[in-house]
Amino acid sequence: MESQILTLVTFFPLLGIVLMLAIPKNQHDSIKSICLIVSFITMLLSFWMYAMFDPIANGMQFEVDIPWITSLGIHYHMGIDGISLLLIVLTSVLSVLAILSSWISITKAVKGYYISMLLLEVGMIGVFCSLDLFMFYVFWEVMLVPMYFIIGLWGGPRRLYAAIKFVLFTMFGSLLMLVAILYLVFAYQSYSGEYSFDMLKMMELPIAYGPQLYLFGAFALAFAIKVPLFPFHTWLPDAHVQAPTAGSVILAGVLLKMGTYGFVRICLPIFPEATVAYLPYICVLSLIAIIYGALVAMVQKDVKSLVAFSSVSHMGFIMLGIFALNLQGIEGAVLQMINHGVSTGALFLIVGMIYERRHTRLIEEFGGLAKVMPVFATFFMITTLSSIGLPLTNGFVGEFLILLGAFKANTVYGIIAASGVILSACYMLWMYQRVIFGKVTKPENEKLKDVNWREKLILIPLVLIIFWIGVYPKPLLDRIEPAVKQVLTYVSKATTVNIGEGIQIDQARTTDEVEIILGEVDPVKVGSEGMEE
Amino acid sequence: MTDGSQVGVIFWFLSFVILISGFMVVSLKNIFYCALFLVLCLFSVAGIFILLEAEFLAAAQVLIYVGAVAILMIFAIMLTTDMASKEITQTNENVTVGVFVSVIFAISTILLIDKTSVWRYQDHDFSEGVTVTLGKLLMTKFMLPFELVSVLLLAAMIGAIVLARKERS
Amino acid sequence: MEFAFPEYNLRLMAPEIFLFLWALLIIAYDVLTKRKSETTAGYLALAGLMITGLILGFTGTGHGFGNMFVSDTAAKFFKIIFLGSAFMAIGSSFGIMREKIVNHRGEFYGLILFSTVGMMFLSSSNELLSLYIGLELTTIPLFVLAAFFKDDKLSVEAGIKYFIVGAFSSALLLYGISFLYGLSGTTDLVQMKINIAITHLTFQNIGVILILAIVLVVAGIGFKLSLPPFHQWVPDVYQGSPTPVAAFLSVGSKAAGLIAFAKIFVNGLFAFHHPDMAPNDWGRLVALLAVAAMILGNTVAIRQTNIKRMLGYSSIAQVGYIMIGIVAMNALGMAAMGFYIFAYMFANMGAFAAVAIVEDKTGSCEISTYSGLARTSPLLSATFAVFLLSLAGIPPLAGFMAKFYIFAAGIQAAQHDPGLYWMYWLVGIALLTTVFAIYYYANIIKQMYFAKEPSPHKVTYNFPALTVLLIGLAGLFVFGIYPEPVLHFASGIASSFGIIP
Repeated sequence: MESQILTLVTFFPLLGIVLMLAIPKNQHDSIKSICLIVSFITMLLSFWMYAMFDPIANGMQFEVDIPWITSLGIHYHMGIDGISLLLIVLTSVLSVLAILSSWISITKAVKGYYISMLLLEVGMIGVFCSLDLFMFYVFWEVMLVPMYFIIGLWGGPRRLYAAIKFVLFTMFGSLLMLVAILYLVFAYQSYSGEYSFDMLKMMELPIAYGPQLYLFGAFALAFAIKVPLFPFHTWLPDAHVQAPTAGSVILAGVLLKMGTYGFVRICLPIFPEATVAYLPYICVLSLIAIIYGALVAMVQKDVKSLVAFSSVSHMGFIMLGIFALNLQGIEGAVLQMINHGVSTGALFLIVGMIYERRHTRLIEEFGGLAKVMPVFATFFMITTLSSIGLPLTNGFVGEFLILLGAFKANTVYGIIAASGVILSACYMLWMYQRVIFGKVTKPENEKLKDVNWREKLILIPLVLIIFWIGVYPKPLLDRIEPAVKQVLTYVSKATTVNIGEGIQIDQARTTDEVEIILGEVDPVKVGSEGMEE
Repeated sequence: MTDGSQVGVIFWFLSFVILISGFMVVSLKNIFYCALFLVLCLFSVAGIFILLEAEFLAAAQVLIYVGAVAILMIFAIMLTTDMASKEITQTNENVTVGVFVSVIFAISTILLIDKTSVWRYQDHDFSEGVTVTLGKLLMTKFMLPFELVSVLLLAAMIGAIVLARKERS
Repeated sequence: MEFAFPEYNLRLMAPEIFLFLWALLIIAYDVLTKRKSETTAGYLALAGLMITGLILGFTGTGHGFGNMFVSDTAAKFFKIIFLGSAFMAIGSSFGIMREKIVNHRGEFYGLILFSTVGMMFLSSSNELLSLYIGLELTTIPLFVLAAFFKDDKLSVEAGIKYFIVGAFSSALLLYGISFLYGLSGTTDLVQMKINIAITHLTFQNIGVILILAIVLVVAGIGFKLSLPPFHQWVPDVYQGSPTPVAAFLSVGSKAAGLIAFAKIFVNGLFAFHHPDMAPNDWGRLVALLAVAAMILGNTVAIRQTNIKRMLGYSSIAQVGYIMIGIVAMNALGMAAMGFYIFAYMFANMGAFAAVAIVEDKTGSCEISTYSGLARTSPLLSATFAVFLLSLAGIPPLAGFMAKFYIFAAGIQAAQHDPGLYWMYWLVGIALLTTVFAIYYYANIIKQMYFAKEPSPHKVTYNFPALTVLLIGLAGLFVFGIYPEPVLHFASGIASSFGIIP
């Protein structure tokens, strides 16, 4: 049982799908309850997994490795480290909340909707567990179909356009990734004589510099589209604005993280030299994303698209943290993935709640909600502050670590990124002010009901997480740290190879030493010099 | 047999007849004349076969194509009302493209064949005569395709009956 | 000269002989019972195909009729596909038997079975003459089947069009075969492989005539495979033919063309694949046609309003993908080719079965008919969506595994052989066009699911058609999630063609 925990967590939602298929489609209540119960049990399983996870151990835990398609060396290979652990827990929690949030708002094709939600959960958790590139790809693609339906069937007015745009963008990137995966497999075959799709084995594979650039490019494009990194972000506002609330929550909370997760899990360790080579470009794009996302968010009239563009900005932070290539940066980035999932998820839920009441999301339609809905305004305040990154909330810890890493890597990047924090405070608070404070100008807003018990049930866990991570992030950071160090040892191979100073780092060394060595060679500076030429 | 120059003359003559009659088949407006030119064309092909010392093939050509196929076609034309006297156009707007492609193909084929000298077609012992050898081969080595043809003919026949039968209502 | 009868080994031919006799039996049964029963002939045909499959399972490997008939892995694999596609085509044909085909039910099934027999002989032939006759036996019944609705102008047009194109392409193929014979002095494919190579080595160069033979054979089989520029007949014929026949054309007849192609090129012209043999190489030529197929099929399909035409263009594109496996010419490529057509069988036959069910109800094949169908006919819409997603290559369906293998074969070829570096481009184009493809497949799903109004039609299923839908569905999921057995089987195709992994 314990050794199969990953299989259990990943595929447990399938049980719900099977059960729901057996129920007539007009019995909405039982369908909803089954879906909720199944996702709730999945969440409990993921908590159990969190409890069993050994925070000190290096390497992958709960590993399962069974031959699957032997003629190509494809294995059913799962395993998690601290990074994947947290993302899986986040996924399972957000799935429960998303399902709860759609309790009333989804009225048509109920059965299909909840099946899609569970299918989505399988795909998302699967991506974070997979250690086999083939499995990773399959789970990555599996999510497209339910997401296509969720946006296209239960979305807003321009849902058809948004749905197909989402699919085509993602598909384009992921097919390139597929080719890169295949190239890696055959390269590994020439190197070792056997087919393998194993990520961990790929990390040991020496790849020439030239192909590495292409391969990194292919993977990075797939991930960058998913993140989405500027300039591949154009699908995001469409998808977010058109998707139903739960869809947006999952999209922002988890799907975007798959892109950044891919960078940390695949791009950095497998292509270390290419990482250093691409570093300045990605950093610059991240900075553009931070500033551009913030500026565009500022002028949005629709609350939901404002939050969507704030995602672009926040994901820029995460990317910058990853490509700071030091312990603080990546740790902060991973933590910020969780934070962004929680706080943006909460924001989308809140936006969904007022949309359910007023059927509009335009900022100018609101105003003075603090008087009508005081509890709602409080929740909104907390999530807004978390999104901005106020001390004592989770956003602060993540952003602080990222900025620390960024400053360490390159002061200019750090300064620009820090200005992004200020911008985010501007647009979020300005929006909050216009929606919540002031006088009640519209008569429709006077009789709005405050949050009910179901909505409280959704928001309270998120608020608790916000404060918990804000005050005491140590348990999470403890679990992230060994995994990040592991990634950094792979990357450090490249910095030494590239610079030729012969510094070798092995796993046994402590964090501080890794940092010092990385500080000495400072890959960011090396990279940026390359760009200036 | 005859010496080379005479064979050459006969070959060119037959080829000329084949080309002209073939062209007539696809261009004349009266379908009955078309059929007659087809008979001429097929006869000339049989002549070419004789030049190649393939007597059996020549006989088969005359028996099957001229004797059976072409004659059946002429019967069909004569028995169908108005077919023989009707003026028909055999071309459509794609005729220029078609002629262009055909001419290019013909020229390139001739050039390519002309440049090739490596042929290996002499493979069988024809000392017993072509017909005997062919017969034996069809009954031994090429028995499978020979039998398969009968299945093919049966299928074609059933198909033809299905298409030709009048539908009961 | 004594008669030297070859060893017949008739037991290897048992499936073909049985199916042929069974086809005659069905026709005789239908005529003798005065064509009263709507369904018996159909069920008989289905039973016959199943029994043939069983016999095939017990048939060993070996050679018969000298070396003319061969029963090896490649032959068996493709025979399964022929039998499967015939089964699914017949299964989806019960709807049209009720009203449209009243007088010739037995002949309809008989001709499908004849065509299947032709395909089976084709896949077992080891030599050009029987290969050619097998191909003819495959197509001639299909001419008739395409025109089976004799009162329907479109159907008759389809039949005539297919007939003219088919006869023309057969002539081209025969002309090409005659050149191949002239160059090698044999019609046996294995012998030809040796002879041509010897000639090439003795004379330093075999001469440009070979490229003429290659072009003619590519054109001849290209018509059957609907590789551009020989594809123009496809949309019209698919649209006009009875839907089950179109389905059979799109899978069975394509698989037959494919195995014929592989036999002549991968086996007979083995040595002339690589660009080193320029100008006598066929690899780049076929790659070019594959690119044309993928681009043309996938872009033109987007604009279609008739679902059968759309599936026709999609089938053109799918052949383009399969060709990558052949051009790769490695063990993986051959296995990928086999697996692709196997997965394609489930998806495409299933899709056509769904089209047939809708057509039986509504009488229309316009894509707009499908609008809102999900709400009145959820099972049909869901299975149809799965078929389309498999055609688009979405995991975990078998169609994804198939594309995955094809791409893998292409990349392996490019990586292992510097002379084939252009395979990267081939795979790249395949990727890009796959993205296009998703657009039009998703469009049907959009029509079915995202329409505002529910459809006025509620489809009814007959038992065989429903079975076909479920077989397709099960096949796509089972072989998408656990393809290993089929892949293992398919990897035997490579050794049948003498390619060592």
